[in-house]
Amino acid sequence: MRCVRVEAKINAKTILSVIALILAVVTPHLIPEAFVYILGLSFLFIILVVSWDVMVGYTGQVNLGHTVFVGVGAYTAALLQAPERLQSIGVAIPKAPIFVSIIFGGIIAALIGLLIGIITLRLKGYYFALVTAILPLVFMQTVFVWRNVFGGEEGFSIGLENSLSSSIVGKYYIALIIMVVCVVLMLLIVNSRIGLKFKAIREDEELAESIGIDTTKYKVIAFVVSSFFAGVGGATIVLYRITVSPDLYDIPLMLLIILSAVIGGLGTIYGPVFGALIIYLAKNWWLKEILSNLFKIAPIPVNDDIILYLILIVVGVLMPQGIYVELKKRCHEVRLKFEKFSKI
Amino acid sequence: MRKLWLAMIVILMLSLSIQTAMAKDKVVIGVIGPMSLPEGQAEKNAAMLSAEEINKEGGILGLPVEVVVGDTKLNPDSATAEFRRLATVENADVITGGFSSGVMAAMMETMAETKTVFLSDASSPAHPAKVAEDYEKYKYWFRISQNNGTTFAWDLADMIDFLNANGLKIKKVYVIRDEHIWTDAVMKDLKPLLEERGIEIVKDVQVPKGYTEYEQLIDEAESLNADLIMPILAIAGTGDVLAKQWGTLKPKIMLAGHDLAAIDAEFFDKTDGLANYEVFIADGGALVTAPPTEMCKKFIEAYKQKYGHYPESHQAYGAYDAVYIYKKAVEEASKAGEQNPFDPDVVVKYLEKYNPENPIKLTRTIAFHKNHALAWGDNYVRNWVSQWQDGKQYIISPKTVANGEFKIPPWLAQKEQEEKEQKTPETTKATPGFGILTAVAGLSVALSLAVLRRKTK
Amino acid sequence: MIELALKILIFGAVVSGIWALVASGFSLIFGVARILNFAHGTLFVLSAYFGIVLVKYGVNDYIAFVLGILFVGVVGVIIFRLTISPIKTHEVMVVIVTLAIALLVEQFLLLIFGEHGISFPSLISGVQNIGGVRITNIRILSFFVAIATLILLEVFITKTKTGKMINATSQDMEAAMLMGIDVDRIYLITMFISSILAGLGGLLYSQIFATTPIVSVKALIYAFAIVILGGLGSLRGSIIASFIVGYVIVVTITFLGARWSEFVMLLTIISILVVKPTGLFGVEE
Repeated sequence: MRCVRVEAKINAKTILSVIALILAVVTPHLIPEAFVYILGLSFLFIILVVSWDVMVGYTGQVNLGHTVFVGVGAYTAALLQAPERLQSIGVAIPKAPIFVSIIFGGIIAALIGLLIGIITLRLKGYYFALVTAILPLVFMQTVFVWRNVFGGEEGFSIGLENSLSSSIVGKYYIALIIMVVCVVLMLLIVNSRIGLKFKAIREDEELAESIGIDTTKYKVIAFVVSSFFAGVGGATIVLYRITVSPDLYDIPLMLLIILSAVIGGLGTIYGPVFGALIIYLAKNWWLKEILSNLFKIAPIPVNDDIILYLILIVVGVLMPQGIYVELKKRCHEVRLKFEKFSKI
Repeated sequence: MRKLWLAMIVILMLSLSIQTAMAKDKVVIGVIGPMSLPEGQAEKNAAMLSAEEINKEGGILGLPVEVVVGDTKLNPDSATAEFRRLATVENADVITGGFSSGVMAAMMETMAETKTVFLSDASSPAHPAKVAEDYEKYKYWFRISQNNGTTFAWDLADMIDFLNANGLKIKKVYVIRDEHIWTDAVMKDLKPLLEERGIEIVKDVQVPKGYTEYEQLIDEAESLNADLIMPILAIAGTGDVLAKQWGTLKPKIMLAGHDLAAIDAEFFDKTDGLANYEVFIADGGALVTAPPTEMCKKFIEAYKQKYGHYPESHQAYGAYDAVYIYKKAVEEASKAGEQNPFDPDVVVKYLEKYNPENPIKLTRTIAFHKNHALAWGDNYVRNWVSQWQDGKQYIISPKTVANGEFKIPPWLAQKEQEEKEQKTPETTKATPGFGILTAVAGLSVALSLAVLRRKTK
Repeated sequence: MIELALKILIFGAVVSGIWALVASGFSLIFGVARILNFAHGTLFVLSAYFGIVLVKYGVNDYIAFVLGILFVGVVGVIIFRLTISPIKTHEVMVVIVTLAIALLVEQFLLLIFGEHGISFPSLISGVQNIGGVRITNIRILSFFVAIATLILLEVFITKTKTGKMINATSQDMEAAMLMGIDVDRIYLITMFISSILAGLGGLLYSQIFATTPIVSVKALIYAFAIVILGGLGSLRGSIIASFIVGYVIVVTITFLGARWSEFVMLLTIISILVVKPTGLFGVEE
């Protein structure tokens, strides 16, 4: 009985995914280009959120510096497209093909993730969250200190001819493909034997250790996987929008990622996909429309960021374990009550 | 659940797309800028004001004018998305605004893609260079708010000449500037100009955004015997802290330069009056207290009447002029019998007619160079030399627009005297604050002693 | 050379004083309630903005100064009651929520006051000349106020009854509860003290420099960096660490240039953490 239900669940998920995919494929023919552009970016944002979920939702280690890897991937790809910027520090590398630079963005991010992971993940508790919270600030400073290379405050443009595709619809489809590939790969990883060990660490680290799981090793693996995909996401974003700038390292992006994952539900992959889509589109599209209409009525000092932060605060306070877990719990309670009721 | 959401998204998108398919019944002006900053607000307010005026007079070629607003958030990502929205969803015929060179560089790519006339702000010479390099691609870009960054060097050199002609002896300059591309360009041009004048740059300090430790720098400038501290600050955002610490320390060094913060009409109050006597060059060629044209005067008054305060920043003049010059260009095009006077390629052709031989007088005298940069000079737009004096801004040079005279800070005037009197030894005067200081110091020492004594018990 | 050393000594000391105030507040509430309040920097700027608004409406400078500090004390308590205490056990969610509060208030202040700096009127003016180094009186005053406050804090915690209860709670919350201490009340009192320390720091800062909405993030970064450097929950550690950070910054500005200051500071902290993960004076939990 139980088996059947699980199968049914997978089927439902698969069917929904296929429907969503078909929708994603036809959408660019239905809506104006400006929205196609935003929708494409939101797909890339999904990669960032899901990759955060792989670390945080599956091993329970809260990484507050995910943007480090987004930024490293982004700057790597950008510099591979504009290698002349490296000449000022005496480094000469050839210009890489676009897709090679995406992979490289991921690899460099993963290497940095490996280094940071080895140093920080030996320790338990706060330590990891604390150190990762400082890291984006350090990386952001590098952009200002070596601004001949990284372009400082405002970053630099890699040139229109180096973008993913010359048309917006082309970019959109490439973003869609990259997103689907990344999400499927991450799904495969978390559903594999390695993924089971991640979850064991999340549920009870000491217990996991006692049954012979090398917890540090698996935490590092999760971290490297997470940073690799964050790097790929960051790199693709740069090639999509043609510009790179320190906002990809910054705290607001980190909060946006957290908000999306928390709203979607940690440790579910599907949830963060959905959360990322909703939050990104809300931030870059709906909220602004709604607020600009509101402003016509009354000039309140409110902008879209304030609304999103407010949502994050409210959700965080009322459902600190995430909406998904909370809803599941509530549903369960209701079902229990219902069962009791039906027995009577 | 997800299906439902996606369906909703699609429906929303569809309903929005229907709007775009209608025929031209209005002229849409897009304003894009950082809407949480005074620069963005000024651009939006000024454009709205001009649209209101133009609609009262019958619109542009009989079509009503509508203003739509986009927010760059000083972020290239938001900026390009918003630019694209204005250009393709709102169908803006022309977009004005900008602010910040890097954001501008990103938006110029979107502009080239969408072929939208863009009357912009931001001062980096890289932007007109792009127009010169690839004219067909970037020709839709014009700079209307302010001059090319390279002209700031001429302004600064002229400012030093003016100060030297009015009682100061500037031989050594201590430069404090933004750690940013725009000041690199200024410095490159400024160095030879100062060399020509036999003026030495004793140090060139670059400060990051949000930097505040100016006291140390002022101290250093003094030990290097500098005569002038020259800020070239906009991005740092802390010109007020520099002015404040200069006004408190009162070093025997003049403070004069390109300090964007000083243009703010409330700068004096915000620095608690310590910015008194700071000399600055006014970006964008107009100051509330000294409008260079009749139209400018009227504009400032109308602005004050509509919004209850003066323009928040000089970008207001640029945005206001942008709408009017666009109107002129379209009307000229229509008069000349162009089939579609709103066609961006046509508008560009007619905007280019306002060249240095044929300037147009709006709130400032506007003319475009071949690379679409704004013409610089006493007869066009330039950064006038101005000074804060007892809570008011005055333009002090050139004479043609000046409404005040340069005043040497009293503690500097003292310096001239002292030098004449063969350097009398300096004595530290006890200030009333010193009493408090010693009291607090005493108190803290006593307290710590008490604590220590109890501990040992 | 001696003058240079003296200069570094003096400038380093006065910069450190204010950061010590802010960091000790941050450390205090962590030590007692085991929460990281990322809205601490927000309290730092709010006191100055509130004070400035009061002064604009004609309130006496000194009264505005005191009211500004008390105001953030109350704001801190409200933040704690409404958002932190319901989720106290989810440590990381506390970080996320308070960070969101910080950014929310920053946006709000940007919309109302704009990005340019505003100053609280200096309570004293003038300049002192100490061994050839000129330094403003307000900086010297800030230094002494900071030192005096920190000493008062120490006295309060070690000598008064409430202080002792705070200390007990920070050492062992459950034992304190068993002893009959109303832990929730202690949390609120600690939050109030922590907030007014930030508020005092903010008001002093806005007299020497100027307050902008972005300063809140800067103050948070400094407080946070200092506290991890000194060791989480160690009040003395964070005071010593703030002097280390202050001197690192001043030395960097003097020898390497302004643009390197924050980068070098953060690198120093990261490298210390790599060698000694618990910070300089932290205890293993």
